[in-house]
Amino acid sequence: MSHLVSGTWHVHRSAIRDGLLSCLITAVLLIPLTGIYTVQDGGGLALKYRIWELILSIIFVFIGRFSLSLAESGHQKLSICGGLVLFLAGAVLSGSHVIIGVIGILGGVLIVLRSLWGSQSRNFTGSLERIKKLIQNTNKQWGLHLSLIMVLIAVIFPFLPLTDRWILDLSILVMTYILLGWGLNIVVGLAGLLDLGYVAFYAVGAYSFALLAYYYQLGFWICLPLGALLAALFGILLGFPVLRLRGDYLAIVTLGFGEMIRIILINWVSLTQGPNGISGIPRPTFFGLEFKRRAAEGAETFHQYFDLPYRPIDRVIFLFYITLGLVLSAHFFIKRIRKLPIGRAWEALREDEVACRSLGLNPTNIKLSAFALGAMFGGVAGTLFAARQGFISPESFTFIESAIILAVVVLGGMGSQAGVALAAVLLIGLPEWFRELEQYRMLCFGALMVIVMTWKPKGLLSKRVPSVTLQNIQKTRTGG
Amino acid sequence: MALLEVKGLSINFGGLLALDNISFEIDKEQITSIIGPNGAGKTTVFNCLTGFYSVSSGKILVNLDEKTFHLEQMRGDQIARDARIARTFQNIRLFSQMTLLENLLVAQHKTLMRASGWSLSGLLGLSSWKKAEAEAIQLAEEWLYKVALIDRANDVAESLSYGEQRRLEIARAMCTKPVVLCLDEPAAGLNPRESAQLNCLISEIKNETSIGIILIEHDMNVVMEISDQVIVLNYGCKIASGTPSEIKINPRVIEAYLGEPDPETGGLNK
Repeated sequence: MSHLVSGTWHVHRSAIRDGLLSCLITAVLLIPLTGIYTVQDGGGLALKYRIWELILSIIFVFIGRFSLSLAESGHQKLSICGGLVLFLAGAVLSGSHVIIGVIGILGGVLIVLRSLWGSQSRNFTGSLERIKKLIQNTNKQWGLHLSLIMVLIAVIFPFLPLTDRWILDLSILVMTYILLGWGLNIVVGLAGLLDLGYVAFYAVGAYSFALLAYYYQLGFWICLPLGALLAALFGILLGFPVLRLRGDYLAIVTLGFGEMIRIILINWVSLTQGPNGISGIPRPTFFGLEFKRRAAEGAETFHQYFDLPYRPIDRVIFLFYITLGLVLSAHFFIKRIRKLPIGRAWEALREDEVACRSLGLNPTNIKLSAFALGAMFGGVAGTLFAARQGFISPESFTFIESAIILAVVVLGGMGSQAGVALAAVLLIGLPEWFRELEQYRMLCFGALMVIVMTWKPKGLLSKRVPSVTLQNIQKTRTGG
Repeated sequence: MALLEVKGLSINFGGLLALDNISFEIDKEQITSIIGPNGAGKTTVFNCLTGFYSVSSGKILVNLDEKTFHLEQMRGDQIARDARIARTFQNIRLFSQMTLLENLLVAQHKTLMRASGWSLSGLLGLSSWKKAEAEAIQLAEEWLYKVALIDRANDVAESLSYGEQRRLEIARAMCTKPVVLCLDEPAAGLNPRESAQLNCLISEIKNETSIGIILIEHDMNVVMEISDQVIVLNYGCKIASGTPSEIKINPRVIEAYLGEPDPETGGLNK
């Protein structure tokens, strides 16, 4: 090894220099950030120091940066050693210092991966290219098979051994967000109108169901289309004042609209019961059969009618299937409407409004139709949400909801159906899944978003599929 | 009765008289060129014709067989849809993320929208809609063939070269089945070969369809070669109009725009 060391001393020197520089930056950052903390001491605050954590962090940064520099210059063995040292040290420390330990483990793994990757960079990119080509060449048939398999899994999902009530409930929530994402995708992804108040339509859907049920004893199945319709109406209502606005200005007005709806819901106490919310929202019924243990006077419940033992989970399974059905029909609806002139007009409007006008497209109608249809899906999702919760209050419809729905659309890839579904699973499913991480949960959520957006700035699945393609181009050409 | 009549067209931008009492007529199967120095108001005329600006005074009439349209009272999209005036833009405005075929289908929005029963029969996939869609694709295909872009039909418009984008924009305008086609500097930024191709295309459109074409152009070779009528603007006023040979020797036009003939080449300066 000694000849290697002497022969490449300058490389090592530069790696050490990199490491020391990183140490310096780390020290500058960490001394005030984590090195010092305050504790309550009698009447005032006292400073305390985290010396060991500081030193450990700086050593970790040195090893990490040193190994990375080596990996970049092709010194595979040494950099892998560095990565392993970091990994082991992290594993040892994770008992006493959780965060530093975890960072050490992750960093070690990354460095090992990086050095392996670096040594076969040509092969790796080559195989990436090959995989890409393979995906492109895979014919439609495979996509169809895959989606059929996915749907089948979804259909048998409630009866899988791993599925419990919590997972089922979570998947209903995820599917609700898929609906919301697809609805917002029409407005933002296809028509290019940035809407920061989308939660308003979600609220309209939920509250129209809750209020109609509360005042007129209407059931879920009547309120579902009514909620969708009312939300679409509110979509048009919002559409009118913002017709002439674009970009940032539009975003501000829609933001205001979202807040307006929420504040009206809070303050119109006589109608909405204000911040107390509305409880006792009826659950969906199976052709009039309720999913309760005991039926009301003169009625039968689901389990009585079919002579089954009573299980509380049946109600959740039923709601799961309703949601699944709605999500699938929404998918086919949007897929279809994208291929219709109205869908193409939305996209054309996003690309260039002036050109649209010069071709005889009326931007007013196109925008209003996008707002109305997008809002309609929000209304459907809202009705589902109310049916799932049984209780709603204005607290569920804050701005952060709009932001999350928008994040689902942006992360998934604007205009992409599959991307939005994937992003909804990631953004809604994972944070619930990782509840054990407690206060680090939202930190991970943020980190995930940052990583995905740097890695794929246009979203996870951003490839636009043309609404129509010309087949047999060669034939046309030779045929004249 | 002329196809398009412009009578006393004036437009005022907050005290600046951009167009002052312009009148001209356009017939079908004719190419009319509007020339003049930069800032003379050529594109402003187009923007008035296509409803992007509302005119301060004057009349713009389109006489179709069934009806006469008063363009000065109509919105831009109504003008394009009902009075059937199509235009291209000086700075190309394509739907750049959409494919060539989709660009040409958006241009047929009016027909397709009606055929899809405002999306209802389209959603149900009725055969009437499928037939209309096939026809629309057929028309788009024809135009892609005419502008020699048929083998790029499924590529996004963004991926085309500058000259190809110009051609696609003309094809898109023609897919609206216009009666008047306004071309705003179609040859700008083209090399001589592309420019010659463009001349052929414009002449072909003129010969094969019975529409009127209005052209804004700085390339005098193009203008003098294909125009039937030339209108010269300067500082918002019409200073001359007539056939290319009349315009070439008009002293006011030479002073304002064309310049003195170069004694060495004996041709035009421009």
